[in-house]
Amino acid sequence: MSVSSSRAASARLVQEKLCNLLFNNQQKCVTVKRNFGSTYLPQTNSFMKIYQGTSKFGSFINGIKQSQASSTSIPQHSRDYSSVHTQQPAGPIREYKIDPYMLLEDELKYIFEDIRQELHQGTNQKELIQIAEYYFDGQGKALRPMVTLLMGKAINYHMYRENNPRTVDAQRKIAMIAEMIHSASLIHDDVIDQSFSRRGKPSVNVLWNHKKVTQAGDYVLAIASIMLSRLKHDEVTLMLSAVLNDLVQGEFMQLGAKETENERFSHYFTKTYRKTASLIANACKGSATIAGADAPIVETAFLYGKNLGLAFQFVDDLLDFVSSSETMGKPAAADLKLGLATAPVLFACEKYPELNPMIMRRFKEPGDVEKAFELVHKSQGLEQTRFLARKHCLEAIKLANKLAESPYQKGLTDIMDLVLNRMK
Amino acid sequence: MLNRIQAGKKLIANLQQLSSRNVSATMQINEKIMVKAETKNEWNRALSEAEKIVGYQTSFLSLRYLLSDEVTNLALHMRKLVGSTHPLVSTGKSLIYGQNNMQTWGLIVLLVSKMAGHADGILESEQDKSAGVLMSQRTLAEVVEMVRTANMIHSSGVLNLQHLQKSGNDLSFDSDLIFGNKIALLGGDILLGNASTQMAQLKNQEVVELMCTAARDISDSHFIGDRDVQNNPLPWDPVKRAEEIRNTTDIESEVQVDEIDNKQPFNLRLMLGGPESEWTVRHTLANGTLLGKSCQSALMLAKQPVELQRQAYFFGKHLALAWQASMDLEPYKTELPLGHKLSLISAPILYHLQYDASIYDEIKKGMESVDDVNYYKIHKEVSRGPGIERTKELQSKHTLAAMTELYKFPKSDAREALEKIILAMQED
Repeated sequence: MSVSSSRAASARLVQEKLCNLLFNNQQKCVTVKRNFGSTYLPQTNSFMKIYQGTSKFGSFINGIKQSQASSTSIPQHSRDYSSVHTQQPAGPIREYKIDPYMLLEDELKYIFEDIRQELHQGTNQKELIQIAEYYFDGQGKALRPMVTLLMGKAINYHMYRENNPRTVDAQRKIAMIAEMIHSASLIHDDVIDQSFSRRGKPSVNVLWNHKKVTQAGDYVLAIASIMLSRLKHDEVTLMLSAVLNDLVQGEFMQLGAKETENERFSHYFTKTYRKTASLIANACKGSATIAGADAPIVETAFLYGKNLGLAFQFVDDLLDFVSSSETMGKPAAADLKLGLATAPVLFACEKYPELNPMIMRRFKEPGDVEKAFELVHKSQGLEQTRFLARKHCLEAIKLANKLAESPYQKGLTDIMDLVLNRMK
Repeated sequence: MLNRIQAGKKLIANLQQLSSRNVSATMQINEKIMVKAETKNEWNRALSEAEKIVGYQTSFLSLRYLLSDEVTNLALHMRKLVGSTHPLVSTGKSLIYGQNNMQTWGLIVLLVSKMAGHADGILESEQDKSAGVLMSQRTLAEVVEMVRTANMIHSSGVLNLQHLQKSGNDLSFDSDLIFGNKIALLGGDILLGNASTQMAQLKNQEVVELMCTAARDISDSHFIGDRDVQNNPLPWDPVKRAEEIRNTTDIESEVQVDEIDNKQPFNLRLMLGGPESEWTVRHTLANGTLLGKSCQSALMLAKQPVELQRQAYFFGKHLALAWQASMDLEPYKTELPLGHKLSLISAPILYHLQYDASIYDEIKKGMESVDDVNYYKIHKEVSRGPGIERTKELQSKHTLAAMTELYKFPKSDAREALEKIILAMQED
């Protein structure tokens, strides 16, 4: 433990130096020692595999090395560097990658603990707390809090050239609220979909009475709303309250199926926005608003979050066809089994029209799921989905470039790599 | 616009179809639904008079809401459940057609709003002069109903399928049970989402905070004590209670938490005090805080002083408890009809448990499923014991407390209407 923490400490030091470099716009290059030892160890319990020795970013980088991603216009370098003090001529600073989880370590380290603390304070009943905090064990990707905080800090730099601790605290609360709303929807989704596992452990509906699980989901939402009201900001409350409606409407849209191909794609797009992108977009928007940003910046933040969310979900739908259940932590081809026609299927439909009736009957007949899976792989559906995701990534990068340069702003552009090339 | 009206008519026709094709013979009494018997003419009269005082009836189930896309969607999906035995069907029926008091709570909030009036400094545009309430208070009344209904749908309309899932049954995805659960969950969430957005539009963060603590309390109440497989509550085992009392040193010093700060969660050790404490804690969390906090929020929106808000809170809380007590007494007025169930955490049963703990042997049979209990036997036993008398005292106590708070407000037609409602409830 001490070895990894000292390695982590040096990694942190290195990151700080890099930050200072970028912030001061110096052209001098310093090669840095990159290692992927981690301080970001999740709390363990008997249900979870223990991922030791790899930071989240590290595993993503490994994913980049392993993936067969075709060449993108985003540079994918993962160099091995020698030591901190050697000076070498090197390429433009832009090629150095920021690990956002490291950058935001102070804020993110205790975020799940703080959420659990809030849940503990709302009731005196052990079982309710148990169910409510089941998905806040630190095993999730914490993408939403990370993006919210990154955007928040980037905007703080953009506007004030400093990070006011009070503002950052409020932005951190918004990050927590976003994660809580997300988890509450996961809790309800698990009951709705009757899933078996999530994040590598049994899903919450397997372990507890479904009615209690429903109430626990409501409880998490109530606590999140209480936290939201305590920010005492009318606009931010409005933004994040709208998210719940979007989530539910998105879920409802999934229940129906559309006739024509064109309608199907816009239906899928709207549904994806509501179910995934809306939360991230509104959290970014809230983060910007509470920093006191003016309307154009707030809009930029919103659109960034929206594009990131869309790209994230498209890659998610792609991974459902590509990845194995072990990597994902949840069963693969889950979407097909639920009767959902996602982007790969919709693209594949153009080449294989026999998918059309299957989509309409939601893959209910025996053999439908397997046939559809096969056809998607045979067609260009997966590449087209990746292209679509990349398009939104580029759009997000363009938006992020509107903000003043800072380590956080660079982080906003760099996480697109994570989003696009992740394996889980 | 014409299309929407047609859609609305179709929707109402669908709902009527739903009701006429219902399979189950008797509608089961659920202590959370609070169905009133037809004989309460006094009650109905008091309600309709009261409605006139605050203008048109503000139930969120008004045509405006029914015409919204989401509800149309919801109802269309519910059609698929017609003929199944999923509890959502009976829940939905009782919501729209039953003589339930879901819509009455919005009315109570409006009456309290009118009664209290508003402080100076409220904009003209905010006021609904003809009705004597503020627009924001009207929204609040809708929000209360939505939260209550959402919780009712989540608690009655969802079925626990955990035992089925564990035994490895492959529940195919369009089976009635799963589908019903899906619709119940989503339906409740839609209402919660709408309540959330409407509350946010009030632009008053203190009100939002207070109402969310009420929502939190309701969720909290579903975890108290022993529960059967479908999460129906059972009373505290007298043996275990006695043991807990022996292990606890200081019961008397436990104060009702909402005397001090009603945003804090309840300390369940208060239930140790006896049947009345147990009943009070359970039902305050389930109903009392919502009505109390919404009355308080109504006054908050009117910028009334904190002392008046406090009165409104206690009025709402005691009214809800008096209501619950009168509900608990309903089944004991006549012979128990065949197939009817009793609420096992109703006051008569809790009082009887203290008087004669042997009845718990019968109640214990409900640990797996409350359907297994012999309600006829319990009904007979309790009717013979002191339970009914003591519940009547309990009801009087809360009615008196509510009236006391009520009389602290100035005389007005709204106050009279509330008096009449309370008296109609007390009378039987």
